[in-house]
Amino acid sequence: MSFEGYKDVIEEGDSVILYLTITQVYCVKAQPKIVNKKGNLVDNVFQTPFGALKCFDLIGKYYGSKISLSKGWGYVMQPNPELWTITLPHRTQIIYTPDISMIVLQLEISPGSVVIESGTGSGSLSHALIRAVKPHGHLHTFDFHEDRVKTARDEFQEHGFGKYVTVKHHDVCVNGFGDDLDNKADAVFLDLPHPWLAIPHTVKSFKDTGGRICSFSPCIEQVQKSCLILSKYGFQEIQTTEVLQTQYSVQQRTLPVLNLECLKVSKEEAELEKQIKRDVTKVMSAIPPASVPGHTGYLTFATMPPVWARNVQLNLSDIDDCNNE
Amino acid sequence: MENANEDTNKIKVGDFVIVQRQGYTKLHKIKAQSNLILGSFHIEMDNVIGERYFDTFQMKNTSNSKKFYTLEKVNEVNSVVESLNIEKSGTDNRHIQVNAESQGLSKEDIDKLKDEQFGSSNIVEQLVNNSKTFNMKTEYSQEKYLKKKEKKYFEYIVIRRPTIRLLAQMFYRQDPTKTLGIRVDDLSQILNHANIHPEGNHLLYDSGTSGLLPAAITNLIGSKTEGHLIHMHPGNECQKNAFMAMQFPQEQVERCTNVNLYSVLRCFYQNKDSYKKTQDTEIDNSCEEPAQKKIKVEDGEEQLPKKSWQIDNERACRILSNRVDSLIITSKEHPVNITKELLQFLNGNRQFVVFNILKEPLMDLYNYLKSREDIISIRLCNNFMRNYQVLPERTHPEVNMCSGGYILTAYKLSC
Ligand SMILES: C[S@@+](CC[C@H](N)C(=O)[O-])C[C@H]1O[C@@H](n2cnc3c(N)ncnc32)[C@H](O)[C@@H]1O
Repeated sequence: MSFEGYKDVIEEGDSVILYLTITQVYCVKAQPKIVNKKGNLVDNVFQTPFGALKCFDLIGKYYGSKISLSKGWGYVMQPNPELWTITLPHRTQIIYTPDISMIVLQLEISPGSVVIESGTGSGSLSHALIRAVKPHGHLHTFDFHEDRVKTARDEFQEHGFGKYVTVKHHDVCVNGFGDDLDNKADAVFLDLPHPWLAIPHTVKSFKDTGGRICSFSPCIEQVQKSCLILSKYGFQEIQTTEVLQTQYSVQQRTLPVLNLECLKVSKEEAELEKQIKRDVTKVMSAIPPASVPGHTGYLTFATMPPVWARNVQLNLSDIDDCNNE
Repeated sequence: MENANEDTNKIKVGDFVIVQRQGYTKLHKIKAQSNLILGSFHIEMDNVIGERYFDTFQMKNTSNSKKFYTLEKVNEVNSVVESLNIEKSGTDNRHIQVNAESQGLSKEDIDKLKDEQFGSSNIVEQLVNNSKTFNMKTEYSQEKYLKKKEKKYFEYIVIRRPTIRLLAQMFYRQDPTKTLGIRVDDLSQILNHANIHPEGNHLLYDSGTSGLLPAAITNLIGSKTEGHLIHMHPGNECQKNAFMAMQFPQEQVERCTNVNLYSVLRCFYQNKDSYKKTQDTEIDNSCEEPAQKKIKVEDGEEQLPKKSWQIDNERACRILSNRVDSLIITSKEHPVNITKELLQFLNGNRQFVVFNILKEPLMDLYNYLKSREDIISIRLCNNFMRNYQVLPERTHPEVNMCSGGYILTAYKLSC
């Protein structure tokens, strides 16, 4: 129960974020013992670059406090969906915060929304979706991989999110989202290799008042197929977009300054006037990393109009074409 | 419940609506007998009242004046590209001369058409019939020509219910300074990194995003929840276009307390008694008795009734003294001293986000925060966002792109 509500003190069983440096962030369980590979109950020790952490020691510590490690120190924080995304155990490719943020906003999700997601994958997006729909809404998330379904379900439960989410084991391209979700959804999110096979099934899941859909695809061919299907099934405002984030490191750099003045007088004179000294200057700069992610995936958004407007096919987006005639 | 639902889908007098003509959107408040100016069109909006959100209306000429249009609800629309019967296309553009007068209709002719019977299918058909080069164009450029003309003479509009997405896009498109340069992806990340959700108290300092930030936060706090927003602003009145447009239920509106930055801080530092004491009085006030009677000093002397801004200040100060769970600063001003001041109100183990259109002020802030021992995980980033045109054989990034601003995020420790 460490995602729900704000907590002051770490309790046994909590998932805790261990922050060492900006690139060394981990999620550990405040659990004194674990079962090792041989099936024996042993002390739960987490190895960090700054030395070992006995997870038992976390219990009773304040969230947001400093803890000592044998070769340094770290900080323990309560997890939230953003921290979870950078620390979660990867079972699949996952979606990261820049895309996740855009998805939540563009799907117009707010507390009370009913959202359908497939596939669940590693649950990176799911955590942000649950935060956005609770306390009155619900997330229905589908994956056709049995282990992932089970692991995700356990994780949500452990994180205190169990009551806001239903995880289903289901091939959505073949079976759709189930009759029990007919006319229930405000928003649908797809992260599937063949989204165009699932899109037709989403239509009947939307509420009569309509809703929003998003499909995340790494390849442009997938996007092209999805867009055609979306428009065929009556979606409007179809828009494909991509968001990339650059993180800067703020640093002071020292740069040499060449002295060109000394060239204007004779060497002796310049030496006399101490003009030949080397000069440096300091600049403050925000430096992007040498390599930044250049692509994550294309986000295709669209609107399913309310039932009374579904027959009117109207272009609601801009035609903006740059090819010269 | 059913009835209530039915009602909320109806467009009523007093509603804020977004009028959408293709990709163009405009916010409008429905009044009995109101007009909307949409580009060069003056549109009488009466006929949308009683219809439903997402209904489509056709702009029709009114008999009396040429620029004025009325609206008529339609159940189908004519698409220019589909309705035209194109007989001939060229294979390339080798015969098309650059400067040749290709359109047989004069500007006056077109204006006349516009005034007689406005509508893309009608006008575009005339344009095509009178074009000397249309049949020489390739199929591709014919289609492009039609789309371009259709856009110009497009006669349909849709009435939408405002959402944060539509509002953010609308303001940014009208003028990015309306949202301090906050683009929709910036907005989405500010909200996520601040961990805005229905629980807890959230603090915002916003020097003017047309109400977009308070609206977006209030939207995520949700209705019938416990969360509260303190919205600090620099002026006498806060900007609230987007907030009004969202038409939140009253109980939700009441959980956003708008206070002037200076006056609330002055109250916090210099008027501690006022907000510590009035807690009970305020609860009493809610039971219908006029506020005037309530506020008396101990010796029985009558005091002036409190102004609503004073009550808001005191409510905000009470929340601030118990500290808040998130902090967002979207300022025009230099962010360092504002952040320094407001950070004291943030609980430990919580995150905060500062946006600025410029990188340099956030670099200053970064350095300041680095020097503090209670701040970790300081990140400065900016986003690249681009939209794509996706069409068979013609998929490419859109021609126009805009640059966003900078976002600094960090966490505060507990001790
Ligand atoms: C890339 S992962 C999703 C990652 C997830 N969005 C996240 O952020 O953690 C894609 C998932 O879709 C599931 N999947 C693929 N095809 C499916 C189908 N037809 N029905 C249900 N799940 C499917 C896969 O098992 C996989 O777990």
